[in-house]
Amino acid sequence: MKRYRYLLKKVSWSAFTILFVLILNFFLFRVLPGDPVKAGTHDPRFKKENQEAMRVRFGLDKPVINCFETLNPIKVGDCWINPFETQFFIYIRNLVQGELGISYHTNGPVADILVERLWNTLLLIGAGQILSIIVGILFGLFAAWKARTVIDYSALITGLVTWSLPTFWLGIILLFWGSGHGFPIGGRITPGTSSYPLSYQIADIAKHMVLPTLTYTIVYMGEYLLVMRSSLMDVLSEDYILTAKAKGLSTFQILKDHALKNAMLPIVTIIAINLGFTVAGAIQIEAVFSWPGLGGAVYEALERRDYPVLQGVFLLIAVSVVIANLIADLMYSYLDPRVQTE
Amino acid sequence: MAVQTAELKPSVPSSPLTGFWREFRKNRMGVVGLVMLVLIVIVAIFAPALAPYDPETSEGITSRDIYNPPSTDHWFGTDDAGKDVLSSFIYGSRVSLIVGFFAAFISIVIGGVIGIVAGYYGGRLENILMRFTDTMLVIPDLPLIVVIVALTKPSLLNIIFVIGLLGWTTTARVVRSQTLAVKSRKFVLRARAIGAGTRHIILHHILPLVLPLLVVNAILVISLAILNESTLSFLGLGDPTATSWGQMLNFAFGRGAMSAGAWWALVVPGFGIVWVVLGLTLLGHGLEQILNPRLESHHLMPGRPTVQTEAVDVTGKRSDVPVLLDVRNLSIHYVGDGQVAKAVHNVSFQLHEGELLGLVGESGCGKTTLMMALMRLLPAAGQIASGSIRFGGWDLATLKEDEMAEIRWKGISIIFQGAMNALNPVRTVGDQIAEAINKHMPGLPHGVVNARVLELLDLVGIAAEHKDHYPHQYSGGMRQRAMIAMALSCDPQVVIADEPTTALDVMIQAQILELLDDLRKKLGLAIIFVTHDLGVVAEMCDSVLVMYGGMTAEYASVDSIYNAPRHPYTQELLKAFPDLSKPEKRLTSIPGYPPKLNALPDGCRFAPRCPLAFERCVTEMPRLHELNGGHIVGCHLVEEKS
Repeated sequence: MKRYRYLLKKVSWSAFTILFVLILNFFLFRVLPGDPVKAGTHDPRFKKENQEAMRVRFGLDKPVINCFETLNPIKVGDCWINPFETQFFIYIRNLVQGELGISYHTNGPVADILVERLWNTLLLIGAGQILSIIVGILFGLFAAWKARTVIDYSALITGLVTWSLPTFWLGIILLFWGSGHGFPIGGRITPGTSSYPLSYQIADIAKHMVLPTLTYTIVYMGEYLLVMRSSLMDVLSEDYILTAKAKGLSTFQILKDHALKNAMLPIVTIIAINLGFTVAGAIQIEAVFSWPGLGGAVYEALERRDYPVLQGVFLLIAVSVVIANLIADLMYSYLDPRVQTE
Repeated sequence: MAVQTAELKPSVPSSPLTGFWREFRKNRMGVVGLVMLVLIVIVAIFAPALAPYDPETSEGITSRDIYNPPSTDHWFGTDDAGKDVLSSFIYGSRVSLIVGFFAAFISIVIGGVIGIVAGYYGGRLENILMRFTDTMLVIPDLPLIVVIVALTKPSLLNIIFVIGLLGWTTTARVVRSQTLAVKSRKFVLRARAIGAGTRHIILHHILPLVLPLLVVNAILVISLAILNESTLSFLGLGDPTATSWGQMLNFAFGRGAMSAGAWWALVVPGFGIVWVVLGLTLLGHGLEQILNPRLESHHLMPGRPTVQTEAVDVTGKRSDVPVLLDVRNLSIHYVGDGQVAKAVHNVSFQLHEGELLGLVGESGCGKTTLMMALMRLLPAAGQIASGSIRFGGWDLATLKEDEMAEIRWKGISIIFQGAMNALNPVRTVGDQIAEAINKHMPGLPHGVVNARVLELLDLVGIAAEHKDHYPHQYSGGMRQRAMIAMALSCDPQVVIADEPTTALDVMIQAQILELLDDLRKKLGLAIIFVTHDLGVVAEMCDSVLVMYGGMTAEYASVDSIYNAPRHPYTQELLKAFPDLSKPEKRLTSIPGYPPKLNALPDGCRFAPRCPLAFERCVTEMPRLHELNGGHIVGCHLVEEKS
């Protein structure tokens, strides 16, 4: 029963956060001075009729929410208008139907552009995240076990240095190095190979992934290493480790059966908290390696001032991070038997 | 169970700032970080004097100057516009530092205010503020910053505000939890009681205690702000009028430095970012270590090797029953920071089959250290400096680690004080008992192990249904009994019970002691019972070892200790203990405290507190005297009288 209450609490909390994100996203793009039509009106070639047509096309002719004069781009007279005719309602309705707006650049639905790119980003984040977690945890484990030795200090310094590296810069350096060593200089596939056999294409994608994944792993490994090290240091100085040692268990048995699970608990939380940073890293890596993911979409949308795409990416990223957080919370409750009864 | 190694630390110096500086100087990481930061701040301040060229003007630059490699004219080469990379690099430090410090300032003020208000006022306000903080914490900040800066004008001021307004969440959380911790301290409560105003309390009592943590957090916030600024500039959202490192990279990367092979234009600006962020990270790490010192040691660190010595026999035979455990001249030192603390000095005793030995003394007199040494579980700083521990034909003091693992639990097992944390919270109690059985009796079928676990739980009065429960579902008394069941699981010959009943209520204490005594009679165990409680000792024990300051004060049968104590310390301890047969007796306590391990007196360690001390006690350490019947006393008075 307590378990269900815990789950319910977490799920409703996430729902609330998503609602907050939706509202934030809506107003950000309406309150801030970057109205696309206004931006365009500075161009003398942009005719008045075209402006109006554009407003209608993007739904900007409707009142924003209700009767906040300042938020309404066009005065519609009476304040008490039909709430179903407001931009906010249309925005929510479209979202429910999976529509994220229309790109200024391609004139096609933003959702279609993003769905394809989401998979590419997930591929990159997945590979990078798994590798950095494995490498970070192993190094952290080793450092804590061999505390106050050369191994420990080198691991600690490595962790601090990699934490300090700007992701995009490391990407640039690796790309610079890699381009001289036979690595592709960006993208996901070699152009013109779409008719090649599947095995070739998979190998091609893998080759394109090496440098972005390496960048990702190096940058994120440091934090997992540091957290794992300090978490394991705490766990290994707990009384129950002494009990395990007194029971005659070997070091390996103690690490495996008594320390690891307890030390992993903070890692799960860190993975969840880090998802936001992870996305930030993906944006930078994709920008450097021209990886056709969401981050690449941000980079391109910024160059083209394609705000609906930017808005769509932000929404997608924010909602994904909230949901991933929820999953981490639920995982935590399975890992730690104490959570269920709290 | 914790062995006091903290006593090795020197006392804190008087002035907090000089004291802090002295601590900080010893922290290599912190010092390196501070030096790195000071250097870059100097570079930023004196940029016009240091930069060989003015990055604002493009006078005299021709197309031949583009992407020139490093030379004597341009130490770090030139960029896509033919400008000197070194000069842009020097001026770029200004942008990074300005954005970093000002944005972090905004974040810290917002986060600090939210944290203090939430922590101090509590209730509904706290709930709303922290919910809001949590929501903001989940929303990924870089995409949000990118979106806002893209929609507004990318000026330095905008960037500072956007980064600052979104970067306060961690600060709010840190400050709130610290405020909560500080709020309930005595002097804050006292200030409130005498009617000090909220403003006064927050400014004069809470803020000073929150400040150190706030500084460490600020360093993290600054480094994140600098990283965010450089990422924004790299993505092309930087202030076009201010040269920053991120922007240099944006230009170089977007304008063909890669294909021109102009590594200098790519490496140098990034190096600046790494320099500042690494400097901040190292400084933050160093400060954190000082503010929040952790014992950088744990139970799996290898201990110091035993110093092998010849044991000298000083104790006589007191019984014909075979000796199980024979400890001779055992000395244990803690070594660290160039200091040696002699925690246990020259202790000898014998434990016979079925014997219950009481080990008595105030806290910090080496009882637990001695017991840990018997099982070779001393912390990394601990070292057996001399003596031997004979058990079943082995000398445990010098036994190899893997052989020792076989002795543990099967030969000697231990019931730790405060079983609260002695059981692993994420594994069921039954599982943890079965683990010991599986380790020492490998190959037993699952059913047999299971039956044995149930039998053991039954023995200590825990119902079978609790076998698959987790420790947090047990009460304190149950946990202690589960610990006893676990200690008995491999039929050990010796059980060490290290204050097994402290922190339990009197009824449970009595139950557990009775249980131990029953088990001893039933199973023929020998038990070493570590305690403060002289009543328990009188009731249950066969013999008693009284320790003071890591040394044997008196070692004798329980009758001799109670009826004819010879050491003044034993006598004083007995005076401090109520005796039901003499209700008119006045209870007295011994003034003073046991000696600090790093400041032991030259003479008798009890001399400073001893009511009978004379000159010799201060100058000369007493040796152990054996009286009739194996009664051992470490006191000069025995000699004087005879």
